[in-house]
Amino acid sequence: MSTIVIDTQGSGDEGREALEAAAIASLELDHEFVVVGHEEEITAALDGIAHDAERMRVVHAESRVERGADMRATISALPRSSIAAGLDCVARTPDAAFVSGGPPGAIVYRAVRALQRIPSISRAALAAVYPTLQHRGPNDDPFALLLDVGATAQCASDHLVTFAAMGAAYAGKISAVERPRVALLSNGPDPHTAPLAVRDADRRLRAAALAFDYIGTIRGDQVMVGEADVIVTDGFTGDVLVRTLEGVAATGEELLRRAQQRYRWRLGMSMLGEGINRLREFTNWENYGGAPLLGVRHPVIITQADSGRRAFLNAIRLAAKMLRLEVIDAVTDGVAALREFESGARGLAELAEVTEVNEPAAPIQDGAEPPAIESGDQSERSQEVDST
Amino acid sequence: MSRKGESPRDKARARRRERLARRVRNPARGPARRRDGDAKDGGEDAPEDSPEETALVEAAPVEVAKPARLLHLRWDLDKTYLRTEFDTLRDLYRTFMQKAEDKVAIAGARVLLKELMDPHDGIPRRVTFISGSPSQMRRTLTRKLQLDGIVPDVFILKPNLSNLLRGRFRALRGQVGYKLKALLHSHMAAVEVDEYLFGDDAEQDAFIYSLYADILAGRVDATAMVAILNACKVYRRDTDEIMALHGSLYASGEVVRRIFIHLEARSPLGRFRPYGGRVVPVYNYFQAAMLLLDAAVLRVGAVWEVIAAMEATGYTPARFANSLQELLRRGVLAPIAADRAIEELAAEGARRGRDVDRFTRRLRTVTADLRSQPRPPPPWETEVNYLGLYHAARFRRQRYRLLGTGIRILD
Repeated sequence: MSTIVIDTQGSGDEGREALEAAAIASLELDHEFVVVGHEEEITAALDGIAHDAERMRVVHAESRVERGADMRATISALPRSSIAAGLDCVARTPDAAFVSGGPPGAIVYRAVRALQRIPSISRAALAAVYPTLQHRGPNDDPFALLLDVGATAQCASDHLVTFAAMGAAYAGKISAVERPRVALLSNGPDPHTAPLAVRDADRRLRAAALAFDYIGTIRGDQVMVGEADVIVTDGFTGDVLVRTLEGVAATGEELLRRAQQRYRWRLGMSMLGEGINRLREFTNWENYGGAPLLGVRHPVIITQADSGRRAFLNAIRLAAKMLRLEVIDAVTDGVAALREFESGARGLAELAEVTEVNEPAAPIQDGAEPPAIESGDQSERSQEVDST
Repeated sequence: MSRKGESPRDKARARRRERLARRVRNPARGPARRRDGDAKDGGEDAPEDSPEETALVEAAPVEVAKPARLLHLRWDLDKTYLRTEFDTLRDLYRTFMQKAEDKVAIAGARVLLKELMDPHDGIPRRVTFISGSPSQMRRTLTRKLQLDGIVPDVFILKPNLSNLLRGRFRALRGQVGYKLKALLHSHMAAVEVDEYLFGDDAEQDAFIYSLYADILAGRVDATAMVAILNACKVYRRDTDEIMALHGSLYASGEVVRRIFIHLEARSPLGRFRPYGGRVVPVYNYFQAAMLLLDAAVLRVGAVWEVIAAMEATGYTPARFANSLQELLRRGVLAPIAADRAIEELAAEGARRGRDVDRFTRRLRTVTADLRSQPRPPPPWETEVNYLGLYHAARFRRQRYRLLGTGIRILD
């Protein structure tokens, strides 16, 4: 029986919504649930909630990491926090996942240290699930994956290539897509107009024999169409894009609310009621659970701070699915296969250079960088930061 | 004794009430019963008894001398001892047709009861089963208990067919009148009695058992009793009988030590808080065994037997550990008592040649996970508002019926 650790102090409402979700999950799913937070408050709250105590364990945590706190305050509060207690618990348990609504930056910071990265992955990526017009896979899955959305603000080309392999492995398992279509987010289909890291990542992905279909670079307006199952970008751009999409959905919701104030519009909207409800369901982020943090050795799901019971429950279900489908193993294998191919290709290239010494070398394009194979090569150029 | 203006029906009722009260005062006058509870009809009162009474007369105490001390174990059957489904008509039919060999006891229930029946401390034990199953199932259920090696002293089943034939439809679903009467009837007098009651959260066991305990303790007087029975829509005849028994047994003493409610439906714990610390909801019989070990009713070897039986049904050390932690969080088991129990379990496990390291380490880990601050146990003596609780439960049932099914996660 695998374990799902749920941080109840991460969410905004004293952890009540997360606790209720954990209680429902304890009745629905065949896992052990570890609830981390202030033990007396949890016990008092559980008094009025149906749950299966045989499957639920409480771990006391003295403090919480406040959202919006500066990095120094966050790091000093971390060791005694529910995030640290929960992630330490995950690290000690072989088959465990972590779900939290806490600050993403603090979770990424602690998760990378407590759980450690998957070998040959130099940066973790936070992946956001979003709905698209085109559906995918045998399950007709309407969700695509966008990564990174905040774990690594600045990315080198190697990070983007790794993210592509991680995202494809994740989508292959979760959406059951045999060969996921992967794209890099850019300002157009021509990679030459893209920043250096994107251009180099594009070149490497085109050259590699991969377990996924690399379809090139796509623009921001193509994201919601669903041409790609996985879209890769750096954490800064990804965070901006996700917030923009959320803002558009919230604005649409607000416009609908305002429209209801006028009688004739309300009449029209009541006629369109079913369609509007479907649109709301389509854009309701609570349906998508949370954002998986890829690149660490255990599944970590980060939900929004103001997540309700439904969002937490979907995040717990996602964590359970990741454990059941052994997604972390698939991600490890996906990245290892990419590394193996690239090191093989590099070896062949070196061999070709030695044997064909008489032939002139191909001219290097302006501004092009040599491919960075080892993750440590460009580590000084990127950093995992708090997206908030 | 008859008063002016009393109808023949009232007189007959008064006579019956007097007869019942006499029987309660002097159990030896009851009809002869076989030890296995499969009652023979007979005895001087039997021909006059109604079918419902006959079912209860089967529960009349065995002719035994009043013991100095007695441990009386009262068990419900469905969802407390047996894993039974009766939420739909199909479930009811399937349960009715099920053979004894196909019936399954809840993990640990059989072993716990057998261990409780063992008079290791020299105190005699007595086991009473009171079930809402129809009396037509007596043969199957008796056979099932025999297969499990359990021979109850008294086995009371509900006369549903006679209720149906006599148009007593409320009695088909209602449990308060039937079970309370059965409990009072089968109350065993002794110089010192300890009663442990086992029920479940599917019906009104916590309500009925608490009411029974408070009648014996002298906390529910006749006026309150009549109001409760009226609110519960108990038939007049049952009310009369219960009131007669109430008159005989009122303030007999504080005999009910614990009421264990098996949370088969995983009801919220807060639902049982108004009953006070005497009612202990348990998620499994390991929790009950740990509390009975703490109360020195069970030996540590018996707890190991319960653990072994539950392990055989798929219970893992994690589930046992979580169950123990839950008792600690609620305050029903003190941390010091838990530590002592873990030590005893480790020693007994080692004596039995079991590899107990993983198990006891897990138990210690979950106790260490908690805040190291003492928490008070739930208050024992509580003035229970039975009328309020009955109406709250009724409202809850109606609300769920109206709102449809789904997980009842919140109260």
